[in-house]
Amino acid sequence: MPKHIVRLLILIAVVAIVAFSAKKFLVPGSFYQYGHYRGNAVAEVASKVPKLQGSASCQSCHKEAYAVWTGGIHRKATKDGAIQGVVIKNGVNCEVCHTGPAGNHPSKEAMPLSIEDRVTTITHKHIDHPADIPGRNLMLSPSDMRNLCLNCHDKLEARPAMQRQIAVENHGGAEPCTSCHNPHSPRINFADLPRPPVDPITGKALPVIAVKAGNAAAGKSVAAACAACHGNTGMSINPAWPNLAGQHADYLYNSLKGFKSGTRKNDTMSGMAAGLSDADMRNVSAYFSKSSCGATGGDKAKAELGKAKAAEAGCAACHNAGGLRGTGPAGISASQAWPNLAGQNAAYLTVALNSFKDDSRNHAVMSSVANALSDSDIDNLSAYFASVSCK
Amino acid sequence: MNKLPSEEKVTTHHTKLEEEAGTLSRRDFLGFLGKGAACAGAFIGAGAAIGAVEAETGKHAFQQNDAQYEEAVNNPPQIPGYNWNDHQWAMGVDTTRCIGCLRCMEACKMENSVQMDANHHRTWVERYVYLEGSNTALVDSQTDPKNIENAGSETKFRFDDRYRHVKVDKAFFVAKLCNQCEHPSCVQVCPTGATFKSKDGPVLIDTTYCIGCQYCVQACPYGARSFNESRGTAEKCNWCYHRITKGLNPACVEVCPTGSRIFGDRNDPESPVSLFIRNNHVQVLKPEMGNAPNVFYKGTDKEVV
Repeated sequence: MPKHIVRLLILIAVVAIVAFSAKKFLVPGSFYQYGHYRGNAVAEVASKVPKLQGSASCQSCHKEAYAVWTGGIHRKATKDGAIQGVVIKNGVNCEVCHTGPAGNHPSKEAMPLSIEDRVTTITHKHIDHPADIPGRNLMLSPSDMRNLCLNCHDKLEARPAMQRQIAVENHGGAEPCTSCHNPHSPRINFADLPRPPVDPITGKALPVIAVKAGNAAAGKSVAAACAACHGNTGMSINPAWPNLAGQHADYLYNSLKGFKSGTRKNDTMSGMAAGLSDADMRNVSAYFSKSSCGATGGDKAKAELGKAKAAEAGCAACHNAGGLRGTGPAGISASQAWPNLAGQNAAYLTVALNSFKDDSRNHAVMSSVANALSDSDIDNLSAYFASVSCK
Repeated sequence: MNKLPSEEKVTTHHTKLEEEAGTLSRRDFLGFLGKGAACAGAFIGAGAAIGAVEAETGKHAFQQNDAQYEEAVNNPPQIPGYNWNDHQWAMGVDTTRCIGCLRCMEACKMENSVQMDANHHRTWVERYVYLEGSNTALVDSQTDPKNIENAGSETKFRFDDRYRHVKVDKAFFVAKLCNQCEHPSCVQVCPTGATFKSKDGPVLIDTTYCIGCQYCVQACPYGARSFNESRGTAEKCNWCYHRITKGLNPACVEVCPTGSRIFGDRNDPESPVSLFIRNNHVQVLKPEMGNAPNVFYKGTDKEVV
């Protein structure tokens, strides 16, 4: 055989041997085991540790928040918890909103402590070193919270009608959703509005510094200064000024505080409030809240129209003793911090609504409500609430 | 028929060669070759067709030969407490329930460490809007600049309310993800065997073998694959294979607040997805592609692809 042919054959043989041994050593044994891929890769993909833990795992530490959630409407995806025979395990799971912390939340392995210790430690960290805790993106700031609610509840054309949707500009204005709604159980409980601050870990209401109730008897002497305009018993001499008789004490106190600090603007009232101590404001509020009120009356025809408008505008959501779906007397507010409207002067109510409308008085919810009202609506509503009995 | 001069010349030359070769003319030889090729092609085609049929019956995974199938049955991957022969996973998407909250997308990113911006995703949501009198849909997703502006950040996902003040005939959201096809185009084109069809359904990625050529990204007819620049590998949904092999739901299903995403084992006739497919009229996306997807949609439109 010619020499060059032999050389060629040897070269081919060497290349073949190198190629086959390379394949033998470089291709892992599990390649081609189940197909044209590395068989071991299947178990490797499956071995990753899941991050989302499910609501049940939250329960072990966050018992109170879990209980609130379990009792609320966010627990259910549908009214009966089922869709066409398919049972939905949970509705809005913890990790729907708390996606941030779920991924790197302290795990049992990372924190070998008893459950009680663990809760204390986490709580402690939240309070003292909020920047240190993993998953600090827990939505604690009101603006985040608001976006979080709107992710699901913003009014969008493409959303199915069964989803509860909110056109924010006609709902709460710039007020944080959590002022009224507990995100773990969002149906409003009107008995505890506005909501007290909540511990982010346990979901428990934080202890509110007990406010000393004002002394009505001591308030009587302070009230002498008010009598010139608001009358001795809180029934104003001018219908454009509010009656104070029978008004919620907390509301009166907050108003006075607002006038003193300048968050509410009225030259006369600011001057009056400037001279009052905190105790004075408490006492005089208690005094007027205890005095007896009376319906001031309003135009009957307008009142009828106003009654219909009140139902439509949703006034009852707050200014009704029973709350949104309650059956309490109209015009008596569910919260001590909100004003009663029943029996108030019609002229004053008109002034108040207009001041919300032109933003000379600031309140996110009231401004958004008032902006949707026409002048005649305001007239009618004022007449209606003036004619409602305040007893 | 008059022969052209050049043709005449060729023929003459040909005849001369034929005489030299003796027995087989070149024309005959080429003809023989052609027939042989056709026959071989037919055999290969038939073989492929048989393979496809077997894959459809759920026996062989995509591009798996008999020996490999036997191995898969008798010697399944070592996953604690899990045997891939017992399951055939599938997903349902009920678009009539989807509220477009995009929590699925966020949960998926958390669970699978996907890049956090709106343009990288394993699953996403599209909005289809038919304006009054229009026969075609306006489509947008979280990647739309207006939606990003509304969300306030590239890493937060939310649809804006641009259609609130216009008349809309019909509008709905559709959640999209990898269809985990029976005949996955992406697997077919992968040059390194880095992506493959597992026996229990999901199409998985072996990131150690992925060279980042992105051929699979191009091949997917559903646009379900993307490229993860930080890892340098292809990125796709695998139905959270690490979760479903531990008895958990995929992350997106776990966080879907309205039950729009349904997941389960088709081998179990009472699993959520079996019930969903049995009780609803479902369809798959782009059936004409022949990919045989495993994500079943309820309530989609002709515009949804």
